[in-house]
Amino acid sequence: MFSPTSAMTVETQHPGDDAPANPPLVTIELHVNSAVWTLCVEPRMTLAEALRGPLQLTGTKIACNRGACSACTVWLDGVPICSCMMLATDVGTRSVTTIEGLASGEKLHPVQQAFIDHDALQCGFCAPGMIMSCAALLERSPQPSADDVRAAISGHYCRCGTYPHVIAATLDAAKMRRA
Amino acid sequence: MATNNSIRTETFPSGIASVGLDTVERQIPADEPPPLAPNGELSVIGKSFPRPNGRAKVTGAVRFTVDIKLPGMLHTRVLRSPWPHAVVRTIDTLAAANHPGVRAILTIADPAKPQTATLHYIGEPIAAVAADSIAAAEEALHLIRVEYQALPFVADIDKARDPAAPLVHDDTTAPAGHPSGFPAAAGLPLNGNVRGPAISRRGNVSRGFAEADAIVEAEYSTHVQTHCCLEPHAIVADWRPDGLTVYMSTQFTAGVRDEIAAAFGLPLNRVRVIVDAMGGGFGSKSQLGNYGRFAIELSRQAKAPVQLFLEREEEQMDAGNRPGTWQRLRIGAKHDGSLTAISLVSYGTAGVGLGAGVGNNAEALYSCPNFEGAQHDVFINAGPGCAMRGPGNTPGAFGLEQTIDELAEKLGTDPLRLRDRIDPCPVRREERRIGAERIGWHRRHAPGANSGPVKRGLGMAQSLWGANVQTNAACEVRIMRDGSVEVLSSVQDIGTGIATVLAQTVAEVLGLRPDEITVRIGDTEFPPGGPSYGSRTTASTTPPARTAAWRVQQQLLREAALMLNASVNELIAVEGKILVGSDRSRFLTFRDAAARLRTDRIAAVASRSDDYGGFRRRAGEDAALAQQDLGGVQFAEISVDTEIGIIRVERVVAVQDCGRPMNPRQIESQVQGGVLMGISYALLEERIIDQATGRMVNPNLEQYKLVGPRETPEIDVIVLENYQGRSATDAYGIAEPANIATAPAVANAVYNALGVRLRSLPMTPAAVLAAVGKVPQRS
Amino acid sequence: MNRFALAGAKTIAEAATAASATVATAMTTPPERMGYADLSVVKAGGIDLLDLLKEGLLAPSKLVNLRDVPGLDAVAEEADGLRVGPMVTLASLAAHPLLQERYPALVDAVAGSASPQIRNVATLGGNLLQRPRCWYFRSHAFHCLRKGGGHCFAIQGENQYHAIFNNMPCAIVHPSTTATALVALGATVELKNAAGVTRRLMLEDFFVPLERDLQRENDLAPQEILTAIRLPNLPPGARMAHIKQGEKDSFDWPLADVAVLLDLDPGGNCTRASVFLGAAAPVPHRARAAEAVLTGRRIDEGVAVQAARAALQGATPLSKNGYKLLLFETLVHRAVLKAIV
Repeated sequence: MFSPTSAMTVETQHPGDDAPANPPLVTIELHVNSAVWTLCVEPRMTLAEALRGPLQLTGTKIACNRGACSACTVWLDGVPICSCMMLATDVGTRSVTTIEGLASGEKLHPVQQAFIDHDALQCGFCAPGMIMSCAALLERSPQPSADDVRAAISGHYCRCGTYPHVIAATLDAAKMRRA
Repeated sequence: MATNNSIRTETFPSGIASVGLDTVERQIPADEPPPLAPNGELSVIGKSFPRPNGRAKVTGAVRFTVDIKLPGMLHTRVLRSPWPHAVVRTIDTLAAANHPGVRAILTIADPAKPQTATLHYIGEPIAAVAADSIAAAEEALHLIRVEYQALPFVADIDKARDPAAPLVHDDTTAPAGHPSGFPAAAGLPLNGNVRGPAISRRGNVSRGFAEADAIVEAEYSTHVQTHCCLEPHAIVADWRPDGLTVYMSTQFTAGVRDEIAAAFGLPLNRVRVIVDAMGGGFGSKSQLGNYGRFAIELSRQAKAPVQLFLEREEEQMDAGNRPGTWQRLRIGAKHDGSLTAISLVSYGTAGVGLGAGVGNNAEALYSCPNFEGAQHDVFINAGPGCAMRGPGNTPGAFGLEQTIDELAEKLGTDPLRLRDRIDPCPVRREERRIGAERIGWHRRHAPGANSGPVKRGLGMAQSLWGANVQTNAACEVRIMRDGSVEVLSSVQDIGTGIATVLAQTVAEVLGLRPDEITVRIGDTEFPPGGPSYGSRTTASTTPPARTAAWRVQQQLLREAALMLNASVNELIAVEGKILVGSDRSRFLTFRDAAARLRTDRIAAVASRSDDYGGFRRRAGEDAALAQQDLGGVQFAEISVDTEIGIIRVERVVAVQDCGRPMNPRQIESQVQGGVLMGISYALLEERIIDQATGRMVNPNLEQYKLVGPRETPEIDVIVLENYQGRSATDAYGIAEPANIATAPAVANAVYNALGVRLRSLPMTPAAVLAAVGKVPQRS
Repeated sequence: MNRFALAGAKTIAEAATAASATVATAMTTPPERMGYADLSVVKAGGIDLLDLLKEGLLAPSKLVNLRDVPGLDAVAEEADGLRVGPMVTLASLAAHPLLQERYPALVDAVAGSASPQIRNVATLGGNLLQRPRCWYFRSHAFHCLRKGGGHCFAIQGENQYHAIFNNMPCAIVHPSTTATALVALGATVELKNAAGVTRRLMLEDFFVPLERDLQRENDLAPQEILTAIRLPNLPPGARMAHIKQGEKDSFDWPLADVAVLLDLDPGGNCTRASVFLGAAAPVPHRARAAEAVLTGRRIDEGVAVQAARAALQGATPLSKNGYKLLLFETLVHRAVLKAIV
């Protein structure tokens, strides 16, 4: 893993990229989890690919790669988005928060802890995105209803069927947070 | 306790806890632990401990196969058939090979090997390219030139049954079936595209129908469902001179290792298969698969690690599916409800593959002296099916359980009362009783009784599933001199939580907390674990874990007995201590006892012994079927808006059994998942194939629709404690039975709401509106 | 996705000058030119564009990013209504106090589309300009009429989600539920081209029916930017409702959606009615016969039933979408009654 504390440059040029018709690579800065990363990327690289590839932040998952399942959810300036449907080059100065940046050091975010306590994950592949959506909900709505949670995760798919436990966990996390 | 040299007799708790426990005597191997008390008397087993890797999963730290990066790792893309049926005339990979990023190319459909050159479905692999990047591999695919000769095709099961239909297979290409009967029996005739029938018969159905006072007969059809694992099928193969290491999203590390060894001529000890976290399988990741072979072969050729994972479109077209089925059921009964005859004819399609039967519900769920079943596989030019959560019995139950309800109505009796009459299983009887009370069955009105546009209904259905056991399964338990403990097995956690249950099992024996046990699984370097399919993981793995823990504990207790000046038999292990039972002031901590060990570590390995009292039958060399079945009864409450055709499932009560429940919350997760997959199957999911081109039009997660959080009803999960004294833990599986009864329970509720039966899945708005006569027939 | 450059425009003029193609024209560029032609298309939120790019349905050489063009993401109050910038996201539109107060039915339509994640990025402009969801159109494997091919695969094929009006020779439906609500409101759009010429037209007229062009859904031209969507002030007696019905309530496209706007006089009579059906036709479909039923009447259950029946006049359902007739009839009925509540 790279140390996330210092700026760094990662080359992602592929062999064959030097064909004359190819647009040049561009250097961008990504603000991710309170660190600044300097990357040299193809303009077509999505944010999800940048996170999972050069940044090695593989907690963000790609499942449908079309914005239909929300597994790739990260925060952009605190707001959940599908990182598979955003170009890395389009992020600009907005700050990205991934599942790896949600806990405060060793202390889990209440939603993370509640997901463990309520068994709100089975295979766990959808969990990072699901947690980012539920945590964002609590940021803007500290006392959500079950329907609020359903709305917040209405774009998420969980093939294991954890929705009941996800809803219970999020409501419980809201209580823990207020306590 | 009576013993001879190799066996002893023990008294086990027996029966359903909520009904009242009895005891049963069993002869057990002498080197197995004493009977485990009912859950109520235990401190760890039967309680809802969290998953040991929960923290890693919620922080994104856990590694799925798609997350693995090895130094120098290559990436693979697969060229796939654009034709549903074609012969590859020529293939030219030269330009692709000259692409600067390409490291190896595998030609799969090769005109030089005629038996490989015919393509039978859209998405069938033609060639695979390993390159420095996915982009380079994709570019190389575009450089491969293929000349095809398109052949006539058929992509619809009804059309494929026509003797004049284009032939999907001939005798040389048709899959052969398997002696075990799964996914289909061997040696059946092939006529056109129809293979079979597989006949099952007892008594004389003609006589049975002649004796019947009432006969119901109906046809049902079910659609093709795809697994939609969120983690795609994925493998990283690392072929080195001294052996092959494979990281794979698999439901069966040990089985995949065996397949690899056989396919590549490697000794078993040179093949290692590893899976840490695994993002869903549901049956589709049970084997090595064609993609697994490609990655390994490419790694061998390129002399570098090779990653291959499928894109979502490939997942939908070539990663397996639940076959579509058509079935006709005919059931005869006396006035008192007793069944006189059941006949079943089915035709199903697993595309170019086998295994489209409708299971054994009709044959085995109810008492009936006369049965005849004739099941057929029909080949079509579509991606091969494979096992999916309750294969066979899930589509089968959709037909049978509606037919039984129809019979009850014809006999003028309540569906529950009829089942009480014809279902011999005492467990399901109790499940019906509990479920009926919980859902409020007394509120059930006559079919179609609501007057407004929104009609409500209650329905129920039952499931039958064999209690599978992998006998080729083992665990090792180690105690270190510092008191740390680990349990090891190659068994994989596909999300069901076997790691938690193993930690609980070992902790219960040793008197420790589950979080004091390190669980090391998902690696064939450890003793072989069973597969995570057939709902057998817990049944296969927890008994050897308990036995191994007990055996290694005996070694530790011998040391402790010396220290405490007591005999081993007097010692008990609780709360991190080893106590003298008669004088609890005399104790050692577990850690202190471990510190006395002569060596750094002691260990015991145990394998899965046969069920106490024996199995019903063996299923091949490595598995068997337990004496008792797994049950499960589900109740659904639904509403139908008959002006828009939308069915809403509002509540499901699922009463299930799995022998001894090991971790109630994880079981609840499993059951909720089974119910939701069943609702999704009933209402939304469908592989839709364009008949003009043979291509799936919804190979994504957008137009292939799954239930989401807003379609999730209130789900009550009730799990019986059903003790039979069959193994060291008496625990069995839950995942599949939880899925089987849902769709028919919803369908029976829909009938109760509408007074009209929907006999075809999925129950879409178009189907509902057609059923209530508000639109022309659905075509 | 093909390789492309991403260029950030700083002004509308710069963006318009750079945009050599619309997405529609880019998709009908001959394949041999793809990736090498100077084919620049505008990117707003990028949701629909990325979807098309990932499927390989167009291969522009450059994306012209509107993200940093100032002034495009504002909601401004004007004398005769609200001016909404095309870069306003669906999420901020749905959360905007002025919209919530004045156009709650529009907010219903916006908030009911896509998923929270998508609404946080997708823009109003992109939503109106998105291409249809027809699965044949969206698949690289079907070279359909709308992509310059010779054949509509849906008409004889899998058409359960397709058009029930004006569906020959192409059976797409317009995918935007927001558009259904906006045309009912009488929204207008403002377009600026590279020469600095501004066009204003009714949103309803901005959408292009099949008889005008089979290969685009709207009148956006190359080197032209959608610069504003204007919502007129509604008279005090205006009542509006929008209802979307998907196969499911979690993230899904509509099977049908209906927007109804009724102007009621102080006596409760309807002086003007707009009834539009979404997911019904290649453009938002105006149900004129239903409007005629409603106009001049006091709205009650009976009138709503009549209007609903009238709304389906002229429908030509295909082999698998006949069920949508009843669905629309129900939604029109319910939307009329919901509007007057």
